[in-house]
Amino acid sequence: MEKVTHETLPSGIDLACVEIPGRHAVAIEFRILAGTAHEPDDALGIARLIQETIDLGTEKYDGRALSDAFDEIGASHGGWVGREASAYTCLVLPEFLERAIELHAEFIRRPTFPDDKIEVAVELTRQEWTALQDDAHSLADKLIGTQAYGKYLGRHSLGEPESLDKIDRKHLLDHWSETYHAGRMQVTAAGAFDTQHLVDLLETHFGGFGATETAGREHFDVTFDAVRVHHNKELEQQQIAIAFPGAARTGEDYHVQRVMLGLLSGGMSSRLFTEVREKLGLVYWVSAWGECPRGSGMIFLGASTTPDRCDVTYRTLLREVDRLSEDLTKEELDRAVNGLVAKIETQGDITRARCGQLAEDLFHFHKPMDRKEKIAKLQAVRVDDIHSYLDAHPRDALSVVTLGPRVLEGSKVAETSSTGGPQS
Amino acid sequence: MNDPYTLHTLENGLRVVIEHMPDVNSAAAGFLSHTGARDEVPELAGVSHFLEHMCFKGTEKRDWHQISVDFDKLGSIYNAFTSADRTFYFGWVPMASVRDQIEVLADMMRPALPEADFATEKKVILEEIAMSKDSVDHVAFDFVLERIFEGHALGWPVLGYDNTVGDLTRDQLHAYHQERYAADNMTLIVAGNVDPGRIIAIAEELCGHWKPGQKKSERKVPEIRSGIANRVVDRFNQHVIVMSFPAPGANDPMHETAEAAASILGGGNSRFYWNIVQKGLSPSASCFRFDLADCGLTLLCAQTDADVDGVEKLADALRKEAHDICQNKVRPEEVQRVKNKRRTTLAVEGESPYHRLVQIMDDVDYRGAPRTVDQRLAAVEAVSVDSVAEFFQRYPIDGDGYLIGVGPREWPNCK
Repeated sequence: MEKVTHETLPSGIDLACVEIPGRHAVAIEFRILAGTAHEPDDALGIARLIQETIDLGTEKYDGRALSDAFDEIGASHGGWVGREASAYTCLVLPEFLERAIELHAEFIRRPTFPDDKIEVAVELTRQEWTALQDDAHSLADKLIGTQAYGKYLGRHSLGEPESLDKIDRKHLLDHWSETYHAGRMQVTAAGAFDTQHLVDLLETHFGGFGATETAGREHFDVTFDAVRVHHNKELEQQQIAIAFPGAARTGEDYHVQRVMLGLLSGGMSSRLFTEVREKLGLVYWVSAWGECPRGSGMIFLGASTTPDRCDVTYRTLLREVDRLSEDLTKEELDRAVNGLVAKIETQGDITRARCGQLAEDLFHFHKPMDRKEKIAKLQAVRVDDIHSYLDAHPRDALSVVTLGPRVLEGSKVAETSSTGGPQS
Repeated sequence: MNDPYTLHTLENGLRVVIEHMPDVNSAAAGFLSHTGARDEVPELAGVSHFLEHMCFKGTEKRDWHQISVDFDKLGSIYNAFTSADRTFYFGWVPMASVRDQIEVLADMMRPALPEADFATEKKVILEEIAMSKDSVDHVAFDFVLERIFEGHALGWPVLGYDNTVGDLTRDQLHAYHQERYAADNMTLIVAGNVDPGRIIAIAEELCGHWKPGQKKSERKVPEIRSGIANRVVDRFNQHVIVMSFPAPGANDPMHETAEAAASILGGGNSRFYWNIVQKGLSPSASCFRFDLADCGLTLLCAQTDADVDGVEKLADALRKEAHDICQNKVRPEEVQRVKNKRRTTLAVEGESPYHRLVQIMDDVDYRGAPRTVDQRLAAVEAVSVDSVAEFFQRYPIDGDGYLIGVGPREWPNCK
């Protein structure tokens, strides 16, 4: 029998966990509510630099010894930096949970940020900037993010080359001191463990970790730039990225949005796949997806195609969104809903996925959300709700990026340095 | 531990492999066709992959749209892929839908190959080829295989070339399907909370009428070449270095040792990570294996945006690590760390029907039968300092291999 718990610990940690007896592992996530949006204007990229160096030296271990310690318990661990948070994730056998928490506490609480490691991290980040120029899809993703979200939420985790060069150990220590403390931490766990034991471990290892007051929950404003910008680049395929504002995760029409995205891009019978790829053969890759920073939402449409098909692909993408207002059937809607529900059930068999779902709940709702309730909300969506959603989220002011050799009709051409890296 | 597997062969030769997983709520099913790019002739390069696409484009019973609709109705997590030596179609669904999932997949294995959809799909595949040309990693990997397996089918990309795909006809595709998708060249694999007897009955009902093949084709073991080559591609910013060496195939008893050796040298917390990446020489340096049933490669890879001198410095660093690991035994703790990580991975993957499906596919295709998680763990436990040393003695990576560079620099110098 699964047991879900949510509580704020005396240390200030916001904890949500689900005991799932019979599982062979425990997935745990330590989320720090500090992402790229929280970076100082003159130190863009610092959140990721902290993450890249935080486990390369602590009061007790050097980087290699810490990695060895994780390997001794066979932990699969990693991390990511997002717009509003940074996270450290770990998958471990149940008997090693305590050691895994102890090791996370060691580097999250007591990093030393050795100068030589910072120097290397800056150099590697610079090289990753260059590598980004060789990855057309990721580059287009970066460009549309900047354009659609604006100053704070539109930042890229790699920062900017000019600001990276200025970041030193003091910057890292200052930003870490300001943003890494228990009141900014959300911890989630799923799998085979005892909740009280988990609570005790977290309090033992994170008790007294800085301010206990909750922080980092503020919303950042989206400053949406409704422009079409083309970035010249020598490529075989043209990258197309379109964005328009959508619903927040906590918004009443969020579940309608999920279904709408399922209708557009949920499976091979979805509209974009069917119309853009299967009927017209315009693309290999086409997709629609949503992102939800806290308190806001953004819908993206993307495709890559050979340059002479760019304009028709662009028009077809938008037409398919509009067409949902015209000829959506109940059968099609039910299929999209059933698909979403089945995937929730199927992925419930993955311990790591369960932990990830809890983490998202905590991030947006400050509490775990009932899975059955989520499913019921999806199942309650009707055709009229999709129409209302599309009326409420018009596509008359879009943010568009194209990347490649052909200028999309009606676009302005960006300055040559606008991809932010070396020219190819 | 009870054997969770049920193995069965239908009269027509179709193999059925089932793993019963009583603790999960879902099931994954897949059809493996033992065919891939290495089974193609040069003028049909890309036909295996094209056929994979066309299996989604209609059958006698369903048109392409109905196939998509039926997958999506089930809420399936589904896809297919083609490699050098296999093509696999799969779907992962809540356990109540497993029969419907197998039915859709089985229907697809007998495609109608409609002419009109053939022409449209050709455009999609040409877009896929164009997309791969925008990735320095894809361009580099294709070039590596082209040189190492020159003159052999393993030397061309799974996607094929613009001209071979462009020239392909529907009749050629049909003939290839007849030969390669015969019942006795295929395996149905199911993992999840299922009743094995019922799955066999479903297989009989849906696939029992499939015909066995008329002839058995033999695969030619490739010659693995050595040398030096570069491909200058000015529009990329990163220069990719690959050093390639012969290695055992996936069905070799040393396979697990080979995996461990690659991990020690170029996995996470590896020698490459600390001595190359963390020295700032490259944002990514790795050692990975390309393995098929009858042959394999150890590939040392890294990339940099540095000038020619910087590329040479990076290559020297790779060579130094390769030399060290061949000449000196690895430390016991390095071996133990790899084992520990594998143990966790196997335990976690053992929870998921999809992961089990893929593992079983690998075992069935390369080793003839599935291995339980415990058997896989035993293979991991057998790796030792001495077995790693023996591996590098038999398959050294500090001698002649193939040295390849792809990117904006004129490196290596091939003159």
